Amino acid sequence: MGQDAADKAKFASIVVPHLADAFALARWLCGNRADAEDIMQDASLRAYRAINTYSGGSARSWLLTIVRNTAYTWLAKNRSLALVSLDGANSAEREQIERAQGVNCSSAVTPETELISRLDATRLEAAITALPIEFREAFVLREVHGFDYRQIAEITGTPLGTVMSRLARARRRLIEAVGDEQS
Amino acid sequence: MTVSTPPGNSSDERALLAHAYFDGELDPVNALAVGRQVAADPVLAAEVDRIDALRRAVREKLPIEPLPDDLRVKIETAIGQTRELPRPSWRALAASVVLAMVVASGATWSSLTMRSNDRFSEAIMDGHLRSLMSQRPTDVTSSEGHTVRPWFNGRVTQAPTVVNLNQEGFPLLGGRVDVIDAEPVATLVYGRRKHVISLFVLPRASRAERLAASQSIRGYNLVRWTAGNVEYWAVWDLNSAELETFARLLRGA
Repeated sequence: MGQDAADKAKFASIVVPHLADAFALARWLCGNRADAEDIMQDASLRAYRAINTYSGGSARSWLLTIVRNTAYTWLAKNRSLALVSLDGANSAEREQIERAQGVNCSSAVTPETELISRLDATRLEAAITALPIEFREAFVLREVHGFDYRQIAEITGTPLGTVMSRLARARRRLIEAVGDEQS
Repeated sequence: MTVSTPPGNSSDERALLAHAYFDGELDPVNALAVGRQVAADPVLAAEVDRIDALRRAVREKLPIEPLPDDLRVKIETAIGQTRELPRPSWRALAASVVLAMVVASGATWSSLTMRSNDRFSEAIMDGHLRSLMSQRPTDVTSSEGHTVRPWFNGRVTQAPTVVNLNQEGFPLLGGRVDVIDAEPVATLVYGRRKHVISLFVLPRASRAERLAASQSIRGYNLVRWTAGNVEYWAVWDLNSAELETFARLLRGA
């Protein structure tokens, strides 16, 4: 088997099984289908070219790391505004922004569990999409893809503690958004 | 039994830990302590109920969809078109490995002398290869220059001059638009026996080097020349002598 055929076989066994997961992440990060398709084609090529750097471990998190980085590159190039969220801020500002969004559940509107369960897909999706990208990716990687904190930290290149607080804050914001809608 | 010290002292911290507890991320000792705290505190317990409801809502209403077929095809096509050798960006990362592969592949490789043109040549090569892999190498199929040329109007900034080389054994097959360096480019397609020549026509400022520059990349031959403000690239998979003839005929036309 030539190098090319060997690489394609690896791609088929390592990458292809996780393309649906990868596409879902790309959609959550860029917010729409068409752009996510572009990102996926780019990310697939990157994964193919880097296939020999995959050294065991979770193939899914390996691929999603590539997709995540491709999406960020794509967003920075095509939609500089989308990244103004936290990446544009310096570290002091960033800390302030992150701190300003507490996770203290007793201080804010807190809807009943029932309301959350009754949310329809469109509104739930809109609320998640409205999150700053750092919070959104932590939430999506946890709740949509089911990764644990350590994997999320690796995929996003973020310290574990930051993953933990972003995730909690993302959830709190979503819960508050549901409450706000009802009040 | 000793009462464990509740981990975390602010309500913010307790809430954070409740999330980590819910996610099964705490070590057994902390999990036990936080579990007790949650059980004893209705506010925390309600929060855990809500994040549980949120999780169930996401899993139920926003599941991961199967990969759309058309995207699967696009990805497979993109991967199918990658060639034996990785592209320049990758080459820069692993030059030594690639060099070894180049030597091993035995392909004619004159790229050691290629510099800034390298990426562009690759793009030209890609365009040619893509056309060979599609159903047909032309978007407009005609042996008549006066049919092919108008087809380019509105598709590229400047419709190319179409030269008829039927008599010389290079019948015109048609044309297509390629995207090279993010720009639409007019490509004329000529035949030679059963092989296809792609002639890329790029309107750009004339460069100093007016002489035809030949390259051979992995068995494909490329010839480049400029005439006025137009740069031509001809690509095919047979010998360079015939391609030079083709180029000479066009330049003389």
